[in-house]
Amino acid sequence: MLKDVTFGQYYPTQSFIHKLDPRTKLLALITYIVMLFVANNYYSLLLCGVLLIAFIAAAKVPFKSVMRSVKGILFLLIFTAILNLFFHGGKTVLVEWGIIKIYLEGVTFTIFLMFRLFFLVMSSTILTLTTTPVNLTDGIETLLKPLTYIKFPVHELALVMSIALRFIPTLIDETNRIISAQKARGADFENGNLFKRVKAVIPILIPLLISAFRRAEELGDAMDARCYSSSKTRTKYKQLKFSVSDLISALIFLALIAGVILLNIYGEAIFPAIYPFIKV
Amino acid sequence: MQNPIISFKNVKFSYPTSDGAVALNGVSFDVQKGEFVAILGHNGSGKSTLARLINGLLCADEGEITVLGLDVLKEENIAEVRKHAGIVFQNPDNQMVASIVEDDVAFGPENIGVEPEEIGKRIEWALSAVGMQKYRNSTPTRLSGGQKQRIAIAGVLAIKPQILILDESTAMLDPKGRAEVISVVKKLNEEEGMTVILITHFMEEALLADRAIVMNKGEIAMQGSPEYIFSHGEILETFNLCLPKISEISNDLQKVGMQISTVLHPEELALQIANNFKGSNAVAQTKKEENAQKIAPLENSNLSVNIQGLNYTYSSKSPFATKALNEVNLQIKEGDFFGIIGHTGSGKSTLVQHLNALIKLPQAEKGYKPKKLKKGETPPTMSQITVDEFNLGDKKCDFKRLRATVGMVFQYPEYQLFAETVFDDVAFGLKNFISNLSKEEVESAVKESLEMVGLNYEDVKDKSPFDLSGGQKRRVAIAGVIVTKPKILILDEPAAGLDPLGKREIMALLHKLHQSWCKTVIIVSHDMDEIADNCTACAVISSGEIKYCNTPKSVFANGDDLISLGLDSPLCAKICKILKENGVEIDCDYSSKDFTKKVINAYCGGDNNA
Repeated sequence: MLKDVTFGQYYPTQSFIHKLDPRTKLLALITYIVMLFVANNYYSLLLCGVLLIAFIAAAKVPFKSVMRSVKGILFLLIFTAILNLFFHGGKTVLVEWGIIKIYLEGVTFTIFLMFRLFFLVMSSTILTLTTTPVNLTDGIETLLKPLTYIKFPVHELALVMSIALRFIPTLIDETNRIISAQKARGADFENGNLFKRVKAVIPILIPLLISAFRRAEELGDAMDARCYSSSKTRTKYKQLKFSVSDLISALIFLALIAGVILLNIYGEAIFPAIYPFIKV
Repeated sequence: MQNPIISFKNVKFSYPTSDGAVALNGVSFDVQKGEFVAILGHNGSGKSTLARLINGLLCADEGEITVLGLDVLKEENIAEVRKHAGIVFQNPDNQMVASIVEDDVAFGPENIGVEPEEIGKRIEWALSAVGMQKYRNSTPTRLSGGQKQRIAIAGVLAIKPQILILDESTAMLDPKGRAEVISVVKKLNEEEGMTVILITHFMEEALLADRAIVMNKGEIAMQGSPEYIFSHGEILETFNLCLPKISEISNDLQKVGMQISTVLHPEELALQIANNFKGSNAVAQTKKEENAQKIAPLENSNLSVNIQGLNYTYSSKSPFATKALNEVNLQIKEGDFFGIIGHTGSGKSTLVQHLNALIKLPQAEKGYKPKKLKKGETPPTMSQITVDEFNLGDKKCDFKRLRATVGMVFQYPEYQLFAETVFDDVAFGLKNFISNLSKEEVESAVKESLEMVGLNYEDVKDKSPFDLSGGQKRRVAIAGVIVTKPKILILDEPAAGLDPLGKREIMALLHKLHQSWCKTVIIVSHDMDEIADNCTACAVISSGEIKYCNTPKSVFANGDDLISLGLDSPLCAKICKILKENGVEIDCDYSSKDFTKKVINAYCGGDNNA
């Protein structure tokens, strides 16, 4: 049942992007997403797309695994697209069918929106494909560090995340074992109506919860015994360091910001519009 | 004499939830710096409570505890004491906080504010002290139990404590993992001068200690050198402890008048036995040249299990595909008490899960369609499994009835208990398999099953399974499987994590089942002695292949090969090997019973002749 669940989608290849500091990647992703929403015509969106493809190529991850994440939200995308198509107003009517009117502007905007969302999902996927969950946690912790001044428990939050990451594979194993054991005792998880199926989950859920509590208790003791206290004297072994490639990436993203803004303003002037409806 | 590093004076403690039952009742002892102390005792004797009192995880009700001169009962000292007294717990999985080994080892030093550069050095040192440098950047979840526990020790060492406490740290490990951990601990004690407190219920481990303390009912029952303790076997049994197997054998040999002192190592015992034979002019029985075939030829008898050419690959379509089973052929005869030997990751679990179709053969899956063949191509041979009367390659096979016929008890089965009462939990399987049973029928089946596993039906049926003791829980879990009276019973590590007495009882229960309800019993184990002492036939599986399949006698005759596969050989096989080098051959099946009997026969027979 849970056999094929692998947590995180980290795809181990040795690429320039894999080696970037997680903070750089997080900030770059945020910048990229903001730029996707700043872009207001096809020219600036195209620039975002080109950069995305360049990054997929540089990350040496198979395009297929990037697309897999898009597949997951395809339904949502199509739903949004249909809504937009039918309810976006405009001047040029393309199709008229009873009360439903589809405008040229609606089509243009829908396509634009689809690309924007596709890029958004794909760019986030690049981050998770090239960064281990542990690294990501470190990055988030360091980025949030300034929040400690307003008493935000950054370290505790990071520790919670790291422990969760640590225990996910253990609990998945455990779940598989419990499922097998109850199946061996004749439990049936595949047939029956909804009520029956929900009821069938109880013999899995209860042992799992009990075990999770037992583990939590033991882990608490083990942490105490290893001198854990969230005091200020705590140090951190792994210090994140920026390197030259982080600087290069930062420059690339500054260029992206500049490019998007320029194309927003001058896009049509530089490249005369081929179609009258290309401006969104 | 210098001041003791740990000192207990008349310490009393009871758990707040225990209704006044005393966990420790006036315990006093001292531990000197650099000493290696073993604390022995059965479950519930108070030995783990003791460990938690030393570093302030629990707080004593009465008495005095000082560690390095610091009073542990004072709240302000606890943080300091914990820096000096590190503790390693039972379950390695539940002590790790990070997903990467070096991050986990760094956790302790980070907590006490060590500079990052120094932490790096400490990680290097701690990992090399436990022999795990290679795994610095690995993920703990992928390691074996023994390796994980060594990482846990490194995590404690990195704090640079003076005292290392191991609270049943070996209980959940296989014999190989246990040996790894114990040798690391011994090395730390000898080379780094670490004070070690080893809490265990395995008497063998106490052999390495300078001193052993035996706990019983919250009090110190006995104290002295391991040799002294082990020469008092009868007393130990009254404390619910078992002598190491080797001591049992030597005691039995002593009884027939052989000159054998209390020995603790197989080499010593073998040499002493050999000396006895020299002294008496006895011509020891020579062993017939037997054919120690790797795979026993198939006999024409009823088979419980017949596997032909089984292949299995995990996550076959991903880049992480791993081959778990490779062309496995295995026959298990009806009536066998069969052992499957192999270490973690050898494919044994995958193999047994095929037997009751928890993993189905591809051709039995719902959507299976045979590949279209090109002209002239021969169809690929499919894996075939028959279990009892069931053909597992057949889509129409009644898998529900199969699972009622082939009972499967997983490792630590007590972790799968879930119902409100013991009765409901045991009845769960029965109701799943047979839907229209009357209330009386269910009751009588559950009663029979609980009594079979040695529990009193009236006492336990309305209790919550979670209120029972560890051993009782396991019995209830087994009762929940055998309630359908399966013809074939499969158990994965049935004795894992139990104390020696519990192990003995579980094995006795399995023999009882074998003689009454279940024609064929299959156990998966990595304890060679368990296999040698109990099984009629066994198979060794390594890297997804069956390396041996024969009687234990023939399989264990290949002791050196087993060791090269990363497995051990049983105690008696080791002794026999050394005896043979000294000119004494004992023709036994390597179970301790048979070995003792044959040695005594040879000795007494020899005496008569002389």
